[in-house]
Amino acid sequence: MTREFEGKTEKDAIDAAIAELGLERDEFDVEIVDTQKSGLFGMSKKVRIRVHTSSDYAPVIDTQPENDFEHGIIDFVGGMIERMGYAAAIVIKYREPSKLCLRIDSESSGILIGRKGQNLDALQLLANVVAGRLYGDEIKIILDTENYRSRREESLIRLAHQVGDQVLREKESRLLAPMNPFERRLIHTALTDIENIATKSEGEGLYKQVRVYYRGV
Amino acid sequence: MEKELVDYVARALVDDPEDVEVNLIEGEKSTILELRVSQNDIGKVIGKHGRIAKAMRTILSAAATKTGKRVVLEILD
Repeated sequence: MTREFEGKTEKDAIDAAIAELGLERDEFDVEIVDTQKSGLFGMSKKVRIRVHTSSDYAPVIDTQPENDFEHGIIDFVGGMIERMGYAAAIVIKYREPSKLCLRIDSESSGILIGRKGQNLDALQLLANVVAGRLYGDEIKIILDTENYRSRREESLIRLAHQVGDQVLREKESRLLAPMNPFERRLIHTALTDIENIATKSEGEGLYKQVRVYYRGV
Repeated sequence: MEKELVDYVARALVDDPEDVEVNLIEGEKSTILELRVSQNDIGKVIGKHGRIAKAMRTILSAAATKTGKRVVLEILD
């Protein structure tokens, strides 16, 4: 499958593709089609990219449950939220060979997300345990609401770059707040190509902290 | 409400759902929920490093913000 996306920077365009296709960054290839510079001193830029998905798979978006497993998981997640005392509708946001992303539509999405996404993560963890019981561990369940997952990803990558700049400036290491493995991987990946910067996870357990430190002279 | 939530989640996690029992002890400022499951299923409601128990406590707190009352989950063995 090939699609085109635009953004102010290459990164913006890639983020748009990720949001639209519901894929991870490593699941497609990016080709830069066009870079337009306009305005005074070429300040405003527009980058057009062409995205090639590695397989011939195309994500299914906003679809209905198709089998007992999907019905079972949707019922379970809906059942939990209902018993928490909130009204919500659950739909399939997208489906991949080993992933099922459910979208929670609710007026109470703020409380369902919780501080730093902790409520959404807890619901997601329980949904995955039950999914594992229903189906083995082959399918990972992702819960999202109000595009929280992609918004959180963007803000973490922004944070990584801010901290990276600060470390380069001050030549002193910085320790970030505790994060789950997925979030830490985003930070490591965001800074991996930046010269004179290295990252390392510190601490024990699920929620480790990433330290960003200066490696230059 | 919170009692039904614990009951519902616990039943989905265990092998012997008929042995799931939740007792509610109503206090003035907080509610205590006592969860009892069959001996074989205790690990299933606690999880590695207590991850599942922690997730249940998290969604319980989220449910309790509606009433403003603190809810404590105790897993009995």
